[in-house]
Amino acid sequence: MRTVWTGLALLAMTMTLVSGSITSVVAQGAGSIVGEVKFEGAAPAPKVTKVNKDKEACGEEKKSEDLVVGPNKGLKNAVVSVVGVKAPVPKPATKPTLDQKTCQFQPHVLLLPAGSEMDIQNPDGVLHNIHTFSTANPAINKAQPKFKKVMTEKFDKPEVIKVQCDAHSWMLGWIVVHDHPFIAVSDAEGSFKIDNVPAGKHKVEVWHETLGKMTKEVEVKAGAPTKVTFELKK
Amino acid sequence: MEDSHQPSAISYQPRSLALISLRFTLHASRFTPLRFTLHASLFTFLVLFTPQAWAQTGDASAGKVVYEKKCALCHGEKGDGNGPGAASFDPRPRDFTQGKYKIRTTPSGKPPSDQDLFRVISDGMPGTSMPPWTVLSEKDRWNVVAYVKSFAADSFKEAPKPVELPKEVASSEASIKRGKEMFEAIECNKCHGNAGRADGPSRPELKDDWGNAVRPANLTKPWTFRGGGSAKEIAARLGTGLMGTPMPTFIDSVEKPEDIWHVANYVKSLAPEKPNFATLLSVRAVEGAIPDDPNAPFWNQQPAANFPLAGQVIADPRNFNPSIDLVTVRAVHSASEIAFHLTWDDPTNSKADPKAKLFADQIALQFPARLADGNERPYVLMGDGSNPVYLLRWSSDGGVGEANAGGITKITPQTGEAVQAKGNGVFADGQYRLVIKRPLNATDPNDLAFPVGEFLAVAFMAWDGGAGETGAKMSFSSWYYLRLEESASKRPYVIPPLVILLTVLVELLVVRVARRRG
Repeated sequence: MRTVWTGLALLAMTMTLVSGSITSVVAQGAGSIVGEVKFEGAAPAPKVTKVNKDKEACGEEKKSEDLVVGPNKGLKNAVVSVVGVKAPVPKPATKPTLDQKTCQFQPHVLLLPAGSEMDIQNPDGVLHNIHTFSTANPAINKAQPKFKKVMTEKFDKPEVIKVQCDAHSWMLGWIVVHDHPFIAVSDAEGSFKIDNVPAGKHKVEVWHETLGKMTKEVEVKAGAPTKVTFELKK
Repeated sequence: MEDSHQPSAISYQPRSLALISLRFTLHASRFTPLRFTLHASLFTFLVLFTPQAWAQTGDASAGKVVYEKKCALCHGEKGDGNGPGAASFDPRPRDFTQGKYKIRTTPSGKPPSDQDLFRVISDGMPGTSMPPWTVLSEKDRWNVVAYVKSFAADSFKEAPKPVELPKEVASSEASIKRGKEMFEAIECNKCHGNAGRADGPSRPELKDDWGNAVRPANLTKPWTFRGGGSAKEIAARLGTGLMGTPMPTFIDSVEKPEDIWHVANYVKSLAPEKPNFATLLSVRAVEGAIPDDPNAPFWNQQPAANFPLAGQVIADPRNFNPSIDLVTVRAVHSASEIAFHLTWDDPTNSKADPKAKLFADQIALQFPARLADGNERPYVLMGDGSNPVYLLRWSSDGGVGEANAGGITKITPQTGEAVQAKGNGVFADGQYRLVIKRPLNATDPNDLAFPVGEFLAVAFMAWDGGAGETGAKMSFSSWYYLRLEESASKRPYVIPPLVILLTVLVELLVVRVARRRG
C-alpha cells in the first residue's frame, strides 16, 4: 500500500514540475500582441429593422451589428488570431454564454474553446431558435421556447459558425470555436490584446463577418507588447 | 399504433427492416423484456438473413445510372439541386451536397438514415414536385440512396441513431387540449399562425439554408405535409425538426416529453386527413332570408364541398407556384335568391400596392353565359368569343361585382344597376369567408338565370394578391356541376301517407270483392 502512495506522490510531483516548467518557458519566451482594427473609409449608417412582433421583448427597432464602427474608426467584433501556433486552450474561468436578451445575440461574436460547453440563454419570454450554419460541426436548429431559459451546447471542431434565429429574422450572431488560446475579439474602439504568444515571427489574421479577412506578419518579442494595426475596407 | 395507422411508407415491405427498426426505436418503451428480446432477435435475423440485407448497401455506381436518368433533371448532375428544371420549383429541389435533409427520423444536425432516404424516394413529398418513385424497382431505389449519399460522403460517415420519441399518446380530448396549450406555449403560431394556416408573423421572412424563401406548412392541410400527415409523422417532425429550414427540433423544448404527442394530436385534430374533393355543388333550397354574414351559424349547418385549384400555366403570365389550392363552397337558394358561401386560405389580407407587386385578393365563380344543350361548356379560362362566361366575383378592395368575359383578357365588368349581386367578405387567421348573393332570375340580358333542378356548370378562380397574383396569374379549377335542389316542399309528408291510404283502400276493395265472390 505504501509503495502505491509513494508512487502516486512521485507522479504528482513530476506532473507539477513538468507543467510548471511549461508555464515558465512560455512566460520566459512569450510576449503579447496588442493593436487595433480600423475601418477604412466613411462609416455607413447601420441597417435598422423595424420590429414587427414581440415588441414587448424585442423593442421597436433593431440596429444591425454586422458593421459597427466606433469613434476613431475602430471596428468592433473583428476576430484577431495567431495562425498556426498550437497550444492547449485553458479552461474558461466562466462558462461561455450566448445571451438572447431583447432578441439580440450577446455577445455578437462569442469565442468558444473547442469541446467546451456553452450556455444559450433566453430571458425574453418568447420563442427563439438556435439555427447554426456549421459545416465542420453538426448544423443544428433547436427551438428554445419561453420556458426554456437555458440550453447547453458544445462544438468540438474549430470553425466560425453563423447563428441565426428564424423567429426573429434580424437576429444574427457568430460563435468562433477555437483550438488555441491566441485569439481575441476587438472591442468598441477596435482594440484587442492577445497574451502569451510565443516569441518569434507569426502570421496574424483578422476576420470580420462583413469585411472578410486580412493577414499580417509580426515579430513577437519576449516580455514585450508587439503593436499591429489592421485597416479593413468594404 | 395499429398497422392501419402506419404511414404507407412501410407498406411496400411489410416485414422490412424499416418497420422493425421504427417500432424498435420509436416505441421501445412499450415493449416488455420478452417482446423486446423477440423483436431484437427478429431484427438480427432480418439483418443477417433476409434478401433486404442489400438494402443497407445499395450500389452507388448502379444508382448513378438511375440518378442521371430520373433525378438529375431537377436535382442536377452534381447533386446540387440546380438541375435544368430547378428554377421553376417552389420548394426547390434538394441540394444533396450539404447532407442536410428535411424528412428524417434522426436528431437535428445528423444525416438521415438510409431508410429515411428510401422512404422519401418511394413515397415522394406531398405538396412538392417530388413524386413517389414506385416506377423504380426497390433495388434501384436503394442504389439511388447509395448514390445520393455519395454527394455528401463526409456527412454519412457514421450511421446516425434515430431520435427516441417518448411513448406514443393516443389522441383524446384531454390530449388535444394539452396539445393546444403547448402549441401556444412553444409558439408554433409564430410561423404557422394562430389557426395553423401558415399565416404567422414570421412567414414573410422565412428562408431556407440556401437563402430561398420558404413557406411554413398550412397545418389544416395535412395532405400537403412533406413527411406525411399521421400523428406519428407529425411527432417525428416535431422531434427531429426539418434540417435546412427554419423548423427547429422540439425534442428537448417542450415542458414534458410526452407533450410532443399532445402537440401532434392537436395538429392532427385541426383538419380531416384528406380534402374529399367534391364533383357536384348541390344548392340547397331554404326558406326565408339568407344571412349576409359569412360567420353566421347558418352557414356551418350547410354541407360543404371542397374544390381543388391549380396554378394557371396555359396563358402568360403563368403561375407555377399558386398560393390558393382549395376553395370550400356552400350554396343555398330561396324562392328569389341564390347565395354562395366561399372559404379559402390566404396568408395575408392584402392591400393593393402595385409598386411592391402587391394586389387585391380576389375570387370568382364562373358560369357559362348561356345554358347550353348537352355537355358542351365554354373554354375554362373565361370562355372565348363564341362561348362567353358570366362571372360572380369579389375583391378585397372592390367588394362584390359581376362581369361577362370572352377570354382571360376580355372581361367586361357590369356597372350601375346591372349589378344585382351583393355580398360580404371577412378575413381572420389566414382565411377568407365570403357570402355572395344574387337574384335567381336574370335581371338583364347579360345575366345567367339559375333554373331549379337542372345541371349547370361552375368553375372557380382565385388570386392571392399578397403573393403577386393578378390577371392571368391565378389559380383555377376545372368545370364542375351545380344543381339547385327542388324546394323542400311538404310533399314527403303528404304523398307517402296518401299512397298508404290508397293501398289500404284498394286492399279493402279486393278483400270485399273476394268475399262477395266467395
